[in-house]
Amino acid sequence: MRTRGTLFRKYVIVLIAFIGGMLIARGMMELYMSYRDNKAAMLRLQREKATGAALRIEHFIRQIEWQVRWASRPIFMAQEQVAEQRRLDFLWLLRQAPSISEVSYLDGKGREQLRVSRLGIDEVRSQKDHSADPKFLHAMKAHIYFSPVYFFKKSEPYMTLALKWQGPSAGVSVAELNLKLVWDVVSQIKAGRKGYAYVVDAGGTLIAHPDISLVLQKTDLSRLPQVREALVNLQKPGEDAIEAGIGQDLRGDLVLAGSAPIALLGWSVLVEQPVSEAFAPLYDSIIGTLAILLVGLCMSVAASLFLARKIVQPIQALHAGAARIGTGALDHRIEVRTGDELELLANEFNAMTARLQESHANLEQKVEARTRELTEALKKLKALWEVGQALSSTLNLEAVLTTIVTRAVQLSGTAGGVVYEYIEARQEFHPRVTHQMEEELFEAVRGTPIRLGEAAIGRAAVIRAPFQVSDILDDHDYGATHLRPILVRLGYRSLLAVPLLREERILGGLVVWCREPCKFSTEVVNLLQTFATQSVMAMENARLFREVEEKGRDLETASKHKSQFLANMSHELRTPLNAILGYTELILDNIYGDVSEKVRDVLARLEQSGRHLLALINDVLDLSKIEAGQLTLSLSEYSMHDVVQTVFTGVEALAAEKGLVLKTTVVSDLPTGYGDERRLNQVLLNLVGNAIKFTEAGEVDIEAKAFDTAFLVVVSDTGPGIPPPDQAKIFEEFHQVDSTSTRKKGGTGLGLSISKRIVEMHGGRIWVDSTPGKGSVFSFTIPFRTERPRGWHGQADSDDRGQ
Amino acid sequence: MGKRILMIEDNEDNRRILRDLLTSKGYDVIEAEDGIDGVSAAETFRPDLILMDIQLPGIDGYEATRRIKANSESWKIPIIVVTSYALSGDDVKAFEAGCDAYVAKPFSPRDILSKIREYLP
Repeated sequence: MRTRGTLFRKYVIVLIAFIGGMLIARGMMELYMSYRDNKAAMLRLQREKATGAALRIEHFIRQIEWQVRWASRPIFMAQEQVAEQRRLDFLWLLRQAPSISEVSYLDGKGREQLRVSRLGIDEVRSQKDHSADPKFLHAMKAHIYFSPVYFFKKSEPYMTLALKWQGPSAGVSVAELNLKLVWDVVSQIKAGRKGYAYVVDAGGTLIAHPDISLVLQKTDLSRLPQVREALVNLQKPGEDAIEAGIGQDLRGDLVLAGSAPIALLGWSVLVEQPVSEAFAPLYDSIIGTLAILLVGLCMSVAASLFLARKIVQPIQALHAGAARIGTGALDHRIEVRTGDELELLANEFNAMTARLQESHANLEQKVEARTRELTEALKKLKALWEVGQALSSTLNLEAVLTTIVTRAVQLSGTAGGVVYEYIEARQEFHPRVTHQMEEELFEAVRGTPIRLGEAAIGRAAVIRAPFQVSDILDDHDYGATHLRPILVRLGYRSLLAVPLLREERILGGLVVWCREPCKFSTEVVNLLQTFATQSVMAMENARLFREVEEKGRDLETASKHKSQFLANMSHELRTPLNAILGYTELILDNIYGDVSEKVRDVLARLEQSGRHLLALINDVLDLSKIEAGQLTLSLSEYSMHDVVQTVFTGVEALAAEKGLVLKTTVVSDLPTGYGDERRLNQVLLNLVGNAIKFTEAGEVDIEAKAFDTAFLVVVSDTGPGIPPPDQAKIFEEFHQVDSTSTRKKGGTGLGLSISKRIVEMHGGRIWVDSTPGKGSVFSFTIPFRTERPRGWHGQADSDDRGQ
Repeated sequence: MGKRILMIEDNEDNRRILRDLLTSKGYDVIEAEDGIDGVSAAETFRPDLILMDIQLPGIDGYEATRRIKANSESWKIPIIVVTSYALSGDDVKAFEAGCDAYVAKPFSPRDILSKIREYLP
């Protein structure tokens, strides 16, 4: 399921976010504080170092100044002695201050009066003019002057200190100061392993640096942020120094820098240390903090997982349990031991499932019971159906009875069974079919048949009801003495016999038996009765069928005889009639001499009656052949137009004789038909002949056209018409509307009936529409192509050739 | 000298009617009462025309017709078959057997005469 674990994930995420967030915030804060404190401490330390260096340097310069000032004090001696004293003072100065390499005295006009040097010889009154020298000019103006640093022999840093004497017309003392001490001071300052100190002047130019080459190149450091800051601080003495602390060295690496000004000289001392080194302890601290954070995070994750699991587990257990129960595992119980509402919920759920299981079990039991009953019923139904099937599908009595006795034994749960046939004349029961009947028992009942009134079936037949023997050993009236010991020996104890009755007449019996002495239940008795009824039906069916078959055979023979008789009869009738008609015609044609008019009239009537009789005989023969299924169609191609024409030609004279108008209307492009042309002629001739016969005045119309896949032929007349009740009957045999008219009109009453048969044999239809007093319309259809009609025998007509 | 007509007919009345009719019209009439006689009479007398009934004792009219038509001596003689009441198939059978014309019973002497005159003008 896709949603599984969603709750768990939610809990975990929330818990981790909460605990982890706190840890991270706390760690970050600590880190920041540590960084800030660390940085401040380092800066303080560096500034202190710088301040220390600055103080030392300033002190050194002050001392020198003081010494120079002392050596330049006014000397109150005689003029000659003054110069000497000054020289001694200067020598003393050199001795006292090793940093001073040379000291000279310029008078108020800038002329050098004395120069004492460690390197050269003393010069007195050299009178060198230094009046334009900046050191002289600056000193005269500001009393004291510190020159920019310069290098002696390109290695020793020097600075010139010029000091104006006090008093009127005082000169200027100029001391060349070796700044090596400044160097030493700077070089001695160490800040960590890689830290160093340096000094810049007010312009930002490097004055002292552990790397002398940088100083010699007069490197301008004013672009470095820390130097810029230092210079700013220098210009605002007294104010608290503002320092960001982070700067860059010449290589562009980040450095932590502290500075201190030397106000006297306008210099700044800077102490720098690479950030990487300065903050090394901070990094350690960061790593430590991160490690702790990580550990904390891991622990928070673990704790979150644990907690979430703790919360979600019972819910998942509930969910999984509910799902399992939902799929039908009703014996499943949900295990939740949290001691809270979830456990209560699980318990409720379990209780509900238990109740469900209980009712389910009940239901299952009921269903099982019903299913069993249903199966039983179905078995019975199936057996009955099989028997019914056997009954309806076969007329083999043996097979049906076998099915019945087999099913009866199976469904009643008995050991075996037999169906007896009752021979009424001898009042004996003969075994007809058996199921699981031992040979010995069968031979016994066959050899000595059970008589009416004895054994189970004999007594059942007498009382016309089922009869059962619960225990053959207790039944003293059993009767059939030869059977009882055999039954006992074979281990049978109880019997159930049901008589086969048809309207109280005994036809036989159905007997089943079993090994245990028992009383057969009503259900079994009823079942056996049903089978008994079916057995009766089977026997009746067989009997009826036998009878029908015999009768059918008789009927068939009779019908054949009748047809044969009719055929023979009509032939026999026709032969003398032929002679009568033949002689009559010969006499009328004067073959035997002239005859009188009176005789001729009588002969004409004789001929007419003879022809009528002949028509009658022919029709009877036709009909009998049709009935016997012996009339066959001789199929060939024909033209409907020709059929109409032939009939028209045949009756033209007759119509003219009666003064009737005879009209034909044939659609010109009728298709060629396929059927029995002569029979169709016969049909049409019959209809037209009738029309002419019954119509006294007016006209007779023959119309033929195509309709769908058939011809439609209509014969209408202006005769008397046919009353509606008779319209349906006129196609029946020997029916004429007015039977007196039959004789009058010379009809046989068979023509329409034969026509109807012929049309139907062609697959067509014939009908009449008539209004009494107005006329009749006979119509028939004939399919263009007639298939082989039903009842086609294919053999030649033989009856009409009779003997 | 009249034309000679062989009449094969078992019924006495029919024979007499045809005999009276044909004789009165000037034909020579030879009569046979069954198929076998008829076939041999046809060969022996070489008639100009044969009137053949279908229902004959012994061999029937179809068979007799077939035999006469199979004989090289008599095959040219026209045969008019006279059947009983015509049922479907009879005419076909008659023509199949080889007859030249066909008249249905009960025949009218007038019809027979006109049919004969078609072959013996």
